[in-house]
Amino acid sequence: MSQVNQPAAEVILEACNITKRYPGNVALDCVTFRVYRGQVNVLIGENGAGKSTLMRILAGAEKADEGTLLLEGRPVALHAPRDAAAIGISIVYQELLALTNLKISENIFAGRELCRAALFVDQETQDQRSTAALNHLRKPMDVSIETGRLSLGCRQVVEIARALDQGSRILILDEPTSALSASEAESLFEVIADLKRAGVTIIYISHRLHELLHLGDRFTVLRSGRVVGEAIRADATRAWIVERMSGRKEGAHDTSSTSSPTRTVVLTVSGLTLPGSVGDEAAQAPVHDVSFSVREGEILGVYGLLGAGRTELLEALAGLRPIASGVVAVRGRKIRTGNVRDALRAGMVLMPEDRQRDGLFPELSIRENVVMAAKTGLFLSRDEETERACKLVAQLHIAAKDVELPVTTLSGGNQQKVLLARCLMCSPSVLLMDEPTRGVDVSAKAEIYGILRELAAKGLSIVFTSSEIEETQALAHRVLVLCQGRISAEFARDQLSDDGLFAAASPSVAAAAGAALARPPGGTA
Amino acid sequence: MSTETPSQPRANRFGVASARLILLLLRARAILVLLLLLILFSALAPEFLTANNLSILTKHVAITALLAVGMTFVILTGGIDLSVGSIAGLGGMVAGYLLTQGLSFDGVTHFPPVAIVILLTICACLLVGALNGWLVAKAGVAPFIATLGTLYIARGAALLISNGKTFPNLGGTASRGNTGFPAFGQSFLLHVPTPVWMMVALFAVAWVVATKTPLGRHVYAIGGNERAARLAGIRVAQVKLATYVFSAFCAALVGLIIAAQLEAAHPATGESFELNAIAAVVLGGTSLMGGRGSVTGSLIGAFVIGVLADGLVMLGVSEFWQVVIKGVVIVVAVGLDQLQTRLEVRILPYLTTVRTKEGHS
Ligand SMILES: Nc1ncnc2c1ncn2[C@@H]1O[C@H](COP(=O)(O)OP(=O)(O)OP(=O)(O)O)[C@@H](O)[C@H]1O
Ligand SMILES: [Mg+2]
Repeated sequence: MSQVNQPAAEVILEACNITKRYPGNVALDCVTFRVYRGQVNVLIGENGAGKSTLMRILAGAEKADEGTLLLEGRPVALHAPRDAAAIGISIVYQELLALTNLKISENIFAGRELCRAALFVDQETQDQRSTAALNHLRKPMDVSIETGRLSLGCRQVVEIARALDQGSRILILDEPTSALSASEAESLFEVIADLKRAGVTIIYISHRLHELLHLGDRFTVLRSGRVVGEAIRADATRAWIVERMSGRKEGAHDTSSTSSPTRTVVLTVSGLTLPGSVGDEAAQAPVHDVSFSVREGEILGVYGLLGAGRTELLEALAGLRPIASGVVAVRGRKIRTGNVRDALRAGMVLMPEDRQRDGLFPELSIRENVVMAAKTGLFLSRDEETERACKLVAQLHIAAKDVELPVTTLSGGNQQKVLLARCLMCSPSVLLMDEPTRGVDVSAKAEIYGILRELAAKGLSIVFTSSEIEETQALAHRVLVLCQGRISAEFARDQLSDDGLFAAASPSVAAAAGAALARPPGGTA
Repeated sequence: MSTETPSQPRANRFGVASARLILLLLRARAILVLLLLLILFSALAPEFLTANNLSILTKHVAITALLAVGMTFVILTGGIDLSVGSIAGLGGMVAGYLLTQGLSFDGVTHFPPVAIVILLTICACLLVGALNGWLVAKAGVAPFIATLGTLYIARGAALLISNGKTFPNLGGTASRGNTGFPAFGQSFLLHVPTPVWMMVALFAVAWVVATKTPLGRHVYAIGGNERAARLAGIRVAQVKLATYVFSAFCAALVGLIIAAQLEAAHPATGESFELNAIAAVVLGGTSLMGGRGSVTGSLIGAFVIGVLADGLVMLGVSEFWQVVIKGVVIVVAVGLDQLQTRLEVRILPYLTTVRTKEGHS
């Protein structure tokens, strides 16, 4: 827009020659990153490129081994997160760090409580401001709910609200939309536009390229801890980004090789209804009377907005949630509902949405994390296991220096791949995947799609949910759309369209908006 | 949205009502157990509910309660303080030494007045607490190990002070100007023993800190997720240090009270008190994982333990059975805690749905 009129945008924050080494690994190698005032500064790079590390340094959560930070030309030293907050930098971390035992409003104000008489916490004002921040993001919630009971997406919104409420000059968003679906992301983009107008500087990281191209003013590309490209909006294209990120031209997407599923029905779900869940509007819309079936070798996508009941549905199938009524059967055998072992015995494996909380064993090594699921198998020896695990690690391009390192030393996207590897290790017959590529970079995504298609061709049935329309379109043979816990539409692969999916997923606009507004934030009346 | 369940069956409503009741009973279980014990004992032993006996009972309870209140904050951060019993013992010995042996400078022995004795004793105990806090918060030693170490250190120091002997006659002498120490544990204010007032005051302060102040929030936050708390800008090390120092302060009070009540300081005082304190905290519903629990719960827990112990003595139950019964009560209480968590997971969604429906109508 006004790009032309501002030839010399001002640098507000500059990270000069930052080097960060981890044992056996250089995460950042003499990186110079300039942040321009009042713009959306986009940082791009493959998994493990060093984006989050750089952000942690800017937020005072980690110290650089070498290099300086200049705020408006003056060097600043950040020893702790509160130092960064004090000079007006706030951040939404990639790995969400909610205090699950505290209420939403307590989370939003943790570490910076508002006080009355300089001594006592001013709960009312905190509640009011939290409610306002959440409303601003168009995700009203009851702020007195315990954060641990929220879905991953809602927790992400809470963290964004926390960062917004700080009213900082510089706002860092590290993959803020990875657990949000299109409409929540849309609200966030509007907020970002507002902030930009108010002069707030934003640093934005995401693997969803369309978001970046839509939002970004400045683009910086990292590869293996080095800056390999900088561009302004006018010069950045999808092809340029991909080429810079990976160092090769973007390969043609191979979507043609989808096999068609056989006739045999593997999974049947009939009349599945769950008792209510809490946290957002989903409280009124758990899964309701959902019926469908999946055939052998079929990839079924489940699309829906945040709180539509996608996660609940998959967790119920995997036996993690009690079921109010309904029948789940694998190859005609009824599964005892609410029983994880029975679901596993039937060959149904869940890849959970929240890798931090439900997925990975943070203290264990990468290899142990991958092998974990196969431990009970009778037929694999340890060596064989290790060999298979290493093969999967290579196949999924998990950027690990050593598979014996703790899994938490990996970057976010690589941790996600470890989780996927583990699910593939136990050779399931039905794979349930909740956001299978959350935080995975573009090329690795294509790789993963390829692997999944291959497995489907060999007879594996897959049910996956995704908040990304593109992913749903790329992978699924057939798509079910959930809306407030009910199936609102079904599309075959060739009938898929953005608009169709979107319309089916949104509750009829008037009803939804009316109900959401009518509901008092307190919940009780 | 709420209109989607037109035929909510009757049975369901009934189910919701009973679910609510069960949950309420479970949440209030500590106080229910306490009431039950009080009724039981007063029925079986008529002299149980006399004013005199209750006064003795609350004096006993005060000891456990003081330790439990201090321990609560430590446990809420996800830590544990095993050293409180030893610190209490050390406190008594320091006070005993100062009262009977005095301090010598240049060959002259000074006997500090009681107020100074109490202050110095508390300072000595706070040092041990600070050591605990430093080990845990700065040196990164696991709380169990760190406080196990200081448990031995403090106990050893208590033994060293007197070579294992008891300091008798802490009443002081008028000529030395240090009389009046026994009042710390034996006096009454408005017919209520002073230690009980201390318990009440400390509890009130602790309750306000835990529920109303940023410091309290930070304690809960650290117990919930330490890394997240640090990234949220909370001064994790300082807060943890403060909890251990506060716990030591509570232990110092206990040491002083016991020495004052007995008018003697014995180096073995306070052995296994830490277990009583932890039991009281756990009975009160505080999670040993940290992040969940309340000071009020710990106070009630201390009462349960105290009432149980005194009541069983009154009934003439053998000492060995008393120990077994105490253990059973703890195990059952923790079992109920698990039950509550599980039931909440099941019942709460149920209740919330209903609540939002009511909100609409
Ligand atoms: N605590 C740690 N110990 C050792 N290595 C680490 C640690 N944290 C990060 N790394 C390494 O630093 C590199 C950069 O990681 P970083 O998290 O910054 O990547 P990223 O660009 O954010 O990737 P993603 O897109 O997957 O989030 C990776 O190779 C990672 O393995
Ligand atoms: Mg990252």
